[in-house]
Amino acid sequence: MEFEDLQVIWNSQQDEPLYGVNEKGLHNTLRNNSKRFRRLIFWQHLQTFCGCTVAITAIVGLLLLNASGLLGKIGSSRALYGWEIAASLIALLCWLQFALSVYLGNRQQKNHEEYETFSLRDDLDKEINRTKYQIRTRSHIMLGFIPPYFGSTVWIIVVFGVSGISHWAMVPVIAAMVTALIIESRCQRRFVEQQITPRLRELQTLREKLTTAPGSESTTPGGNDIQ
Amino acid sequence: MKPNEQQRIFEEWLNLHRGLLFKVVRSYAFNSHDQDDLFQEITTQLWNSVPRHRGDSAVSTWIYRVALYSAIGWSKKENRHRESHQPILAGDRVLLQPSKAANPQLEWLYEEISQLDEIDRSLTLLLLDGFSYREIGNTMGISQNHVGVRLNRIKKRLTKKSTRRADNGI
Repeated sequence: MEFEDLQVIWNSQQDEPLYGVNEKGLHNTLRNNSKRFRRLIFWQHLQTFCGCTVAITAIVGLLLLNASGLLGKIGSSRALYGWEIAASLIALLCWLQFALSVYLGNRQQKNHEEYETFSLRDDLDKEINRTKYQIRTRSHIMLGFIPPYFGSTVWIIVVFGVSGISHWAMVPVIAAMVTALIIESRCQRRFVEQQITPRLRELQTLREKLTTAPGSESTTPGGNDIQ
Repeated sequence: MKPNEQQRIFEEWLNLHRGLLFKVVRSYAFNSHDQDDLFQEITTQLWNSVPRHRGDSAVSTWIYRVALYSAIGWSKKENRHRESHQPILAGDRVLLQPSKAANPQLEWLYEEISQLDEIDRSLTLLLLDGFSYREIGNTMGISQNHVGVRLNRIKKRLTKKSTRRADNGI
């Protein structure tokens, strides 16, 4: 049998469609998938936005209350000391840095999504780059979270001090924050090891399969030696 | 792009090129559950791809690329998550299985295609659907020569097997 005969067999399916489609079910699926995706993105952004807004508002609020002399009227026996004002400003900078880095990260991701691809290899390269980016950011999440955690800790010290609460009360709060940071970091690392790294390996293998002619050596991923 | 416009284009693509999607589904998924799952994955990706299509390439080429890329990604993901898979309820099925008995020669051809690796499977589908080496190269992002080398090997393999099958009187 020649290849043309196989072509005839293949073309025979044009006359009778292989399957039927439940149109209503399909549109429901598409609508649900797109709604679920939009909701997930919305919640992620909302969480970050709310976290940053609450923290920044609280710090700025405290500084404004102190500057206007209203701090004494809401339970504090004294105004902020100089070092407490400086600590609050540092906490504010930490949170602003975090908010900015999240915003820039999201924008970079959005630009990356909009990057046009022209072939299956481009699609694979795009996905490989995106996966590498995820690995990078998730592996170093502890570094990314250090500024807001540090800022919060410093600010809590200031608030406890100005409220006249014992310094010992800070210990469990700070311990809880450090524990949360460590747990978050470990979870992310495990996710990278168990989910994202195998995915990256698969993508790289696929790319290699695609760009390596049978019987030849593999080409460098990301290179332009084929076209 | 407005949702109505996206919906209109998607439906037009689906009506004109659903046969193409079925072929990809059948080549990458081998039971009714998986075929349904893959079809949903491909159509979701196709829906998302509508605003990205700028008309630089033919619609069929674009759809093939989206479908093949989704299928390759799906088959990898499917292997990883097979054990934790949730069954799709009969009422949620999108793809309706044919009631007619299948053409045995076509069944055999699909069986042979399924033995190839993901990339060779994609190349074979494009070849069988009449794409030129140049078009296949552009769609896959590899050179024409590379396409030629791989497809010659695949053609040899398929013809050899079909000849053996014919010799055995099947």
